[in-house]
Amino acid sequence: MPHNETVEGLGLDEYKYHFITRDKPVFKSRKGLSEEVVRQISAHKEEPEWMLEFRLRALDIFNSKPMPTWGGDLSHLNLDEIYFYLRPQDRMQRSWDEVPEEIKDTFERLGIPEAERSVLAGVGAQYESEMVYHSLREEWENQGVIFESIEDGLKLYPDLFREHFATVIPPADNKFAALNSAVWSGGSFVYIPKGARIDIPLQAYFRVNAERMGQFERTIIIAEEGSEAHYIEGCTAPQYSTESFHSGVIEIIVKKDARFRYTTIQNWSNNMYNLVTQRAIVHENATMEWLDGNLGSKLTMKYPSCFLVGEGAHGEVLSIAYATDGQHQDTGGKVIHVAPHTTSRITSKSISKGTGRSSYRGLCKVYEGAVGSRSNVECDALLLDETSRTDTYPYIEIDENQSTIGHEATVSKVGEEQLFYLMSRGLEEEEAMAMVVRGFIEPIAKKLPLEFAIELNRLIELEMEGSVG
Amino acid sequence: MADGVTTARAAGDVKAAGTEGDRFQSILEALDEPRTLVERRRAAWERYAELPMPTRKSEEWRYTDLSKLDPESFEPLAPATVEEDVPVGDLPGEVAGLLHGMDARSGVAVRVDGRVLHRRLDSDLAAAGVVFAPIREVARDRPELLAERLYASDVTPMEEKLWSLHVALLTGGDVLYVPDGVRIPDPVHVLRWTGEGGRLHSTHTLLVTGRNAEVTWVEEYLSPDLERPALSLSGLELFGGDGATLRYLALQRYGRGVTHFSIQHLRAGRDTRITGLNVNLGSDLARDDVTSHLEGPGSESEMLALWFGDGKQHFDHHTLQHHAAPHAYSDLLYKGALTDSARSVFRGLIRVDRGAQLTDAYQTNRNLLLSEDSHATALPNLEIEADDVRCSHGATVGQVDEGMLFYLMSRGLSRQRAERLLVFGFFDEVLGRVPVEGVKARLREAVSDKIGI
Repeated sequence: MPHNETVEGLGLDEYKYHFITRDKPVFKSRKGLSEEVVRQISAHKEEPEWMLEFRLRALDIFNSKPMPTWGGDLSHLNLDEIYFYLRPQDRMQRSWDEVPEEIKDTFERLGIPEAERSVLAGVGAQYESEMVYHSLREEWENQGVIFESIEDGLKLYPDLFREHFATVIPPADNKFAALNSAVWSGGSFVYIPKGARIDIPLQAYFRVNAERMGQFERTIIIAEEGSEAHYIEGCTAPQYSTESFHSGVIEIIVKKDARFRYTTIQNWSNNMYNLVTQRAIVHENATMEWLDGNLGSKLTMKYPSCFLVGEGAHGEVLSIAYATDGQHQDTGGKVIHVAPHTTSRITSKSISKGTGRSSYRGLCKVYEGAVGSRSNVECDALLLDETSRTDTYPYIEIDENQSTIGHEATVSKVGEEQLFYLMSRGLEEEEAMAMVVRGFIEPIAKKLPLEFAIELNRLIELEMEGSVG
Repeated sequence: MADGVTTARAAGDVKAAGTEGDRFQSILEALDEPRTLVERRRAAWERYAELPMPTRKSEEWRYTDLSKLDPESFEPLAPATVEEDVPVGDLPGEVAGLLHGMDARSGVAVRVDGRVLHRRLDSDLAAAGVVFAPIREVARDRPELLAERLYASDVTPMEEKLWSLHVALLTGGDVLYVPDGVRIPDPVHVLRWTGEGGRLHSTHTLLVTGRNAEVTWVEEYLSPDLERPALSLSGLELFGGDGATLRYLALQRYGRGVTHFSIQHLRAGRDTRITGLNVNLGSDLARDDVTSHLEGPGSESEMLALWFGDGKQHFDHHTLQHHAAPHAYSDLLYKGALTDSARSVFRGLIRVDRGAQLTDAYQTNRNLLLSEDSHATALPNLEIEADDVRCSHGATVGQVDEGMLFYLMSRGLSRQRAERLLVFGFFDEVLGRVPVEGVKARLREAVSDKIGI
């Protein structure tokens, strides 16, 4: 633990503002959204006619739906000022030299391997990991796993793609799902065959030569009967992006007896509006786990959902949010019990610091006929400053009397006595604070892959430095 | 008002067009009220006419459908111009019966549709300066008691439509004013009876206490089953002076055919203690909006409710615990049980303002579903902007414990009886917190009557 080093001048809280955007793209679509832009995207990707039609229909839906008035403040989000499509190679125009020192320092402090830094900083795909990726890829291919970019998924597996695409999240689901459906670009296409068990997590940034996760990423994952896998998107390290708007759609189908875990940790820079729709359909006796970490962005609205449609299905959402100055994390989870004997659990931990605001927003719905369903929701919020804010908005809708549903939430500040105890054992106040916060998120951190947990812990330690006054 | 009774005559036009405006105009003309009250009605009517009916598109009304409710299809009851003085023995049987059973009473008022048949306050209390009178009379004789209190609540946009209608078409209201240091030993009991279908019955309660005063207010809403639907609107504005203790207990036992809306604003000053209880057993549809404003440091608010729904009854409870001052405490316990195809909604919010440090706020909602077709929705919310607080909330939806049922049935009880006893036990956690024994007994009786024990 790097307790005793001083990080003055690192200014982790500020690094997000220090990104300098020198955007010199070769090609950009026009600003704003129009039919022409949508046609351009589809033409550029050489898509089949049905996809173009799908995109245009989604555009109509997008235009007809009002902006949401709940959740975060979207009044400053001006969609007319956004470029809806950049060619991937144009994204790679920046060089490592342009990445601010602060961010490089942060990578250093977090112990991120050299190889990954350039990808995280958005300056290119790295070659070292390509080799790792190739050896993994071989192993996966032997098991019949498909792990491609979403564009290649459509080209190489047109039938499989079409069978599942937009079946979990139709364009009319919400305004931003419609937007994504119209202009999607980038993301993954994953197919885990029947009975396959993949031990090493599939990580999106191993997928080199494909488009990096874009503004409008679209991911489809199909876990066949009895399969087991873990997919990881994003990372705890700060992510460098010149865009200010990210709206992804993630669709997952977990078939009978399969187990799937999707881990996503976002640490976008502080100018980002991050509005994501993530949903899984969970079949008989299958298990879906969402592990959702939100550290960055200006505003995130994201509520990973499990539709428990098969008897005995289990859904789990573990959510951690960290909101610091100027940030609003409006996150949570949704579990929808449709079939009998389905179970679910939502665990949410949030920390608000400075002027940060974290809101838990969730839904637990039990339809009539989902007899014997059980759900438990627990939300804990920690407030570090007088100016921080936390909200809890759980929706509980129960149409089935043979079910057991509970929700609990607590809000607290770091206890003086906890700090006093730790300090009486010789810890500095900052260290003690970091330890309490780490303890608070422990139930979630321990579910993370080791390297993520370590990064998350270090990040919290860095954030705590200088936070006690 | 210095000019005493001013009978309002048509002064200016009422905005709302057509027959509704005309009807309202004729109500105004028949009134015997001080001009200030008439003006409040007129302004409220205009506001009512401007505002749209709440629809399910708004978050606050998402689970309660008012699309089939047309408030203008009800004939407003004409406000009484004088109060009658019918002796208790001569009151209509159904009302007189309701006065039995709750023995000790410091004051009582009986409203039957538009009429006030009976009003009494212990003479020593009147001598101590306690005022218990209709709003109309207080507006004439003691207008200073109403200033910045009557209709002064900060109603939310979602309450405003029905609140405006309530004010514009008020049938009658009661003011209770308790001066500094006066303690009212026994409950003040108000009966509000609606006997006619097709009517709109709007009643208001203004409860004001001075410093260190104490009062228990019991309000009962009743009607037979009505063939033609009726609409009941009720408003409560409660002002607790510093150090005062107030208990507000409302028991709603309307018959079928009635739709009931109740908007309640409770304000607590420094070290004020308020207990509020809403029991909903009757009506087709009942919606309570209850706000506790903790405005003084050290204030306490206990918010309790219980409901039992059967048939197609629909109960909707909205609550706000608004902590504006530091060191305040609020605790909410709302419990409901539903059978047949009854539905209920609980939507509660704890809001802690920046600066309201050392707040303790709790919120618990428990629901029992006793039948396949019953539905419960719970939305316990928190919005917290101060960091040194203790807040928690919990909500559950479940069934009667099978183990307990089995135990009771093994002792020879039928399943139905065992279930009912367990529901009664479930409610007793709320009823047990009612601080007045006589009222507690009455509520237990009403609840067991409804459950069918």
